Amino acid sequence: MPKIDPQSFLPLKTQWFHIMLTLAGGEQHGYGIMQEVLERSAGKVRLWPATLYGSIKRLMEAGLIAESDERPAPELDDARRRYYRLTNFGRRVLEAESDRLQELVHAIRVKRAMVSQ
Amino acid sequence: MNLALRIYLRMAQAFPHEFKLLYGTDVMQLGEDVVEEIAKQRGVAGLIRLIADIAIRVPLEYLSEMRRDMRYAVRALIKSPGFALVGIVSLGLGMGVTTSVFSRTWAQMFRGLPAVANSQDLVMPQNPVSYYYTEQYRAQKGLFVGVAAFQTGVPFNVAFQSNGNAKPQRVFGQLVSPEYFSVLGVKPQRGRVLNPEMDKPGDAPVVVITDRFWRNRLNSSPDALGQTLRLNGQPATIVGITPKDFKGAMPIAPTELFVPVTVPAALAPELANDVLHKRDAKQFLALMRLAAGVTIESAEAGLDTVTRHLDEQDLSNPKRNDKGRRVTLLAGGTVLPIPRALKPVVIAFVAVLTGLVLTIACMNLANMLLARGAARRKELAIRLAVGASRFRLIRQMMSEGVLIAMLGGVAGFGLAYWLSILSSQIKLPQAVPEEIDNAMDWHALVFTFALAIMCGIGFSLVPALQATKADVAPTLKEGAAIQLRGYRRFGMRNLLVVGQVAGSLMLLLMTGFLVMGINKMSNIQTKFDPTRMYLLSIDPVRDGYSPEKAQALFEKLPERLKGVGAVRSIALAAEAPFSIVGRTAQLSAAKDSRDPSKKLKLVAKETVGAGYFATLSEPMLAGREFSEADQRIEILADGSKAVGLPIVLNESAARGLFGNGNAVGQRVTEDKQSYDVVGVVGDLKNGVPDDDQPASVMYLPLTRRDFASPPAGGMTIMVRSDAGIDALGGVRREIASIDPNLAVFDVRTLAEYLQTSRAFMRLALDMYGGIGLFGLVLAAIGLAGVTAYAVARRRKEIGIRMALGARKVQVLGLVLREGAALVTVGTALGFLGAMALVKMLSALTSVFSDAFNLSTNDPRLVVGAPLLLAALAMLACYIPARRSMKIDPVKALRQE
Repeated sequence: MPKIDPQSFLPLKTQWFHIMLTLAGGEQHGYGIMQEVLERSAGKVRLWPATLYGSIKRLMEAGLIAESDERPAPELDDARRRYYRLTNFGRRVLEAESDRLQELVHAIRVKRAMVSQ
Repeated sequence: MNLALRIYLRMAQAFPHEFKLLYGTDVMQLGEDVVEEIAKQRGVAGLIRLIADIAIRVPLEYLSEMRRDMRYAVRALIKSPGFALVGIVSLGLGMGVTTSVFSRTWAQMFRGLPAVANSQDLVMPQNPVSYYYTEQYRAQKGLFVGVAAFQTGVPFNVAFQSNGNAKPQRVFGQLVSPEYFSVLGVKPQRGRVLNPEMDKPGDAPVVVITDRFWRNRLNSSPDALGQTLRLNGQPATIVGITPKDFKGAMPIAPTELFVPVTVPAALAPELANDVLHKRDAKQFLALMRLAAGVTIESAEAGLDTVTRHLDEQDLSNPKRNDKGRRVTLLAGGTVLPIPRALKPVVIAFVAVLTGLVLTIACMNLANMLLARGAARRKELAIRLAVGASRFRLIRQMMSEGVLIAMLGGVAGFGLAYWLSILSSQIKLPQAVPEEIDNAMDWHALVFTFALAIMCGIGFSLVPALQATKADVAPTLKEGAAIQLRGYRRFGMRNLLVVGQVAGSLMLLLMTGFLVMGINKMSNIQTKFDPTRMYLLSIDPVRDGYSPEKAQALFEKLPERLKGVGAVRSIALAAEAPFSIVGRTAQLSAAKDSRDPSKKLKLVAKETVGAGYFATLSEPMLAGREFSEADQRIEILADGSKAVGLPIVLNESAARGLFGNGNAVGQRVTEDKQSYDVVGVVGDLKNGVPDDDQPASVMYLPLTRRDFASPPAGGMTIMVRSDAGIDALGGVRREIASIDPNLAVFDVRTLAEYLQTSRAFMRLALDMYGGIGLFGLVLAAIGLAGVTAYAVARRRKEIGIRMALGARKVQVLGLVLREGAALVTVGTALGFLGAMALVKMLSALTSVFSDAFNLSTNDPRLVVGAPLLLAALAMLACYIPARRSMKIDPVKALRQE
């Protein structure tokens, strides 16, 4: 794993964030990532296929995700597909990004409270 | 929907090889999975979006791959800095010279005049014409929408009213017809420009100034308009300021003022003798704007007919029935209008010379890359074996080449920029200073960039193809020592070496011929110490003297100055000695002028005063030189003289006209003018030769007319002084005592003058010489590299030979023989090529044939250059070949 500061990836690109967020819940294949993001955003965010795999390639190169050796239970396994998982480093980056977003939200709340008073 | 999917799948195929290996099937699979759902949810818009997405990603993947290649290339170059340095420096030099030449050619021959509208529609006849002719040309409404006449490089002594005490400044301007600005399409920045409705003869004199004059001499004063200047002592009102970048037509001479031809002759002596109405006063350049749809060819043909008619009407014109073309039109909207026929010649020469330099540099790099590629064969074979595509590897190797070329391009652009600054600092010592704007613009940048990419691809494609051609299996088995097929015969590397040697010999010979030729042409030798002669210029007419007063001044001036201590001799001349003379005349010996074989001779014309040759320590070969009496000759109003004007011929001219007979006392004619030869003087070198007889000169005496309207550079006073004493101060004091208001300018010693006059030539020499040497060094580097590589590659063979008893000298001979064969073939080809090029270029124009004629027979070059090159090449072979002697047979054999 490269010794790079997780902060150097922030702010995460939207597609990267969605892919990593999906993989935080367990390994998933490309189609699954796409479906989950679509559902989670209520149809607003669609990762188009070529963009999805372009992002996966770069996430792999950056060491944020990796191909998963574990396969899900045989009855759920889709043999044609490759599964991806979040690496430990990827998890740290994702946490750093969530912290950053939380701080942003917090700042907005404080501001709003000040204005409404 | 099916169509969308088909497009999608087809595009997925276009991803780069590596991406396809990893994700190709996934991308296709996913597309097939989602296409139905997308069509259902989003309809056609969704399908379009799906295709747009992949259409964007494909080039993005290629870009990121290229970025990786570049990073890889940077690392590879950092690892071998020597290779990178040689590559960048050699390409940088090559491209720098090429860019500099390109940008100069572009700036002078193709770039439109600044601040001028539609400059491509402007034309001007090559030869000066009379004002009367330009008025007749103006009537050709079908050909031209406008015709103007102008004189450039006209000096004015300018005094500022606000500052009465300051010395007048000498400023160069143009004398223009009122149509000038409308033909050029130039609008004023302030005030108005000249126009035919407002500027009529007899009006109070006006002047239009340039932005430069306004800024530098009037401090951008807001009340400049309406201010009155004194031009040559006469008042003239500023009515307008031209736009910022405008420098007039033919901006070779600096132009700061535009004075209309409607001013009285007292303000502009150039207008004296009623030149505006004389048919034969060919003192003006015409500038025309073509009418819509008229080509330069048809305008030229039309103008030729008009000119023929005009010539035929003039019964006193001796050439009125001459055949042949009378008018040649030039592109008037460029800085340096040259005949159209000459353009391809200039371009061809420039292209050949710079092309040779670049080819040699590229061949060199190709050679080095070939060697590197061969050393990396194993690495490449492994990558091929594990699935890298050949195309991919080629691209990667080429990105290294392109990177070197780009860095070389940056270096080259810097060099070209520096050269352009350097050449702009050189001032030619002409009466009217020359000022050519060689500034580089974005065209040069685009040119260098394109050149760099072209070179980069050019020299790295073949090595990359070669290196990746290997059969994977044998390369992996045998390692790096694999033999290239056909190496001994016509391998790529051998061809490159032969080409390189031939190319650099061609370059060396061509530049050598030029250097020696130019050197011989510009070699000026004085018979005395040139630091002991001072040159000063005065121009009393432009200081407000009347013609009569100026004549009186010049009558007494030499006598007064001779009285100054330390002055040994003194003479007046219209131009500084050894200057580049532009005026020529066609002389014939009068005696047999009816004879069809009458001797015509093209001679340069110089106008010199009494005692000129004595002051230059030049003895008369026959007859006498001009005396003070000759300076008092009155010329009639029509430019002729009742008796023949006395002239002195130089030796070449005298021999050309009269053979070995005595020239003194003979009569010669030029058109309707006749002259009596009173003396013959030896040939003084004057710098630039003519086509047939380099050094034929006729010397005319300075006469009262010359004193009344001195040439543009004023009158030159030549002062010879005794060694060790400064005569200049005394001379200046003496002139000031005659008239303190007389401006003395262009003061320098003859030595200084000669030095600056040769600076330009020297720059050309340095450049050509530099190019030749540069090719030589490149060829040597290339050859050394090839030999070193050959030795390394044949370690095993040499080891076996030595183990079997070959002596070291035999091994050395073996290696050197190969190099010698290549060098010999290359030298022979290069010699033939250079001779062919010289013939070709000489046939094209006399400019080259002059320089080449003087030098192609020089044994120092014809024999010396090939020998020098061959010797250097063999040395370049020898140094790495010596390494072959140090090979230890035991080690070399064990290594495998």
